[in-house]
Amino acid sequence: MPTYKLTYFKHWGRGGVLRLLFAADGIEFEDVRIEREQWPELKPKTPMGQIPILEVDGTMICQRRAIGRLIAKEAGLAGKTPLEEARADMIVDGLADLEGKIVDFFIEQDEKRKQEKIKEFAEKTLPTFLVTYEKLASSGGHFVGNALTWADVDFFAMMFFLKDHLPSDPLQGYVNLNKVRDNVSSHPGIAGWLEKEGASQ
Amino acid sequence: MPAYKLTYFNGRGTAEIVRLVFAAAGIEYEDVRIEKPEEQWPEFKPKTPMGQVPILEVDGTMLCQSNSIARYVAKVAGLAGKTPLDQARVDMIMDGMEDVGKKGNATHWEKDEEKKAEKKKEYEETFLPQFYTCLNKLVGDSGHFVGNELTLADITFFNTTDLVGRYFKLPSMDQFSGLKKVMDHVTSNPGIAKWLKERPETPF
Repeated sequence: MPTYKLTYFKHWGRGGVLRLLFAADGIEFEDVRIEREQWPELKPKTPMGQIPILEVDGTMICQRRAIGRLIAKEAGLAGKTPLEEARADMIVDGLADLEGKIVDFFIEQDEKRKQEKIKEFAEKTLPTFLVTYEKLASSGGHFVGNALTWADVDFFAMMFFLKDHLPSDPLQGYVNLNKVRDNVSSHPGIAGWLEKEGASQ
Repeated sequence: MPAYKLTYFNGRGTAEIVRLVFAAAGIEYEDVRIEKPEEQWPEFKPKTPMGQVPILEVDGTMLCQSNSIARYVAKVAGLAGKTPLDQARVDMIMDGMEDVGKKGNATHWEKDEEKKAEKKKEYEETFLPQFYTCLNKLVGDSGHFVGNELTLADITFFNTTDLVGRYFKLPSMDQFSGLKKVMDHVTSNPGIAKWLKERPETPF
């Protein structure tokens, strides 16, 4: 097994799902959480001036999805065939598209404009997305085949992030998506991690 | 070998990376272009997984999301990286180029003329040179991003650069010896060279 060192900020952001993926299979890794003030010094040492980064036996990998896919492969959560892997990838890419819309309201400085954007996100953007994703999830609560993949975990991570930013649970009424969320949160490694760390995130 | 059917609008856009991988691999596929989008797209859209194209139909399954499709085809063709770590390096280059493309897109579609001019200036004079400087450092002595052979990382770099270059002023490749080698490797790949000569001229 290679040695893994993940570096990100303390908050959930883009690093949270990666910690969950390590936890899912109980993979040991060095979980480096930096303060904002430490970032300027680290930035030029990273491949693209961004974090999270994962160092694997000394090689630096950046970009959240590239890192997530690598950990997923190690954990056996990437999909069982190339076609399943592609399906997991497309689910994760769709979630990244949604993330773009979240970043848009998250970084808005003008408070009034920010509330308008959050309202549009909660009332239009997110429901449209969830209607699509409800159809992509099976009744057993999986996006790919009938076993947990990182696509399920990535979806869970997105909802986990949103719960602190929306007035109510956006998954109300979505039967399949609720099952996805339950499957992930009850997965032994993840359940343990959530119990230990969930509240502080 | 399963039959591959790629569907997109009549343009390069987000489908071109898939076409380039098919070309490099010498894999035959059906290159379907929606000629009359106003008529045909509303009917086809609800049949797609996420209401988007490109779509790849293979073995009765519909895949969407261009990078996921490209990675799948690259995997079949042996162009996705040899080990999980190599594959992760390929993936990070792809994701980095996606950032380049998305920022270019956002700049191109900015409605406010004054903001657009500012964004264009920043993109061409600051962002692209800085990002390409980072990318240049990631090219190996072999002139490839990963290992000693062509991978999806090299092809993606070429494709995004080519597309961005249609709308924006690119930094000169003369200062980026690594990136120049990558471009040469991609454009001299026989399958890709043939496609670049034969592909249709389209508005986007």
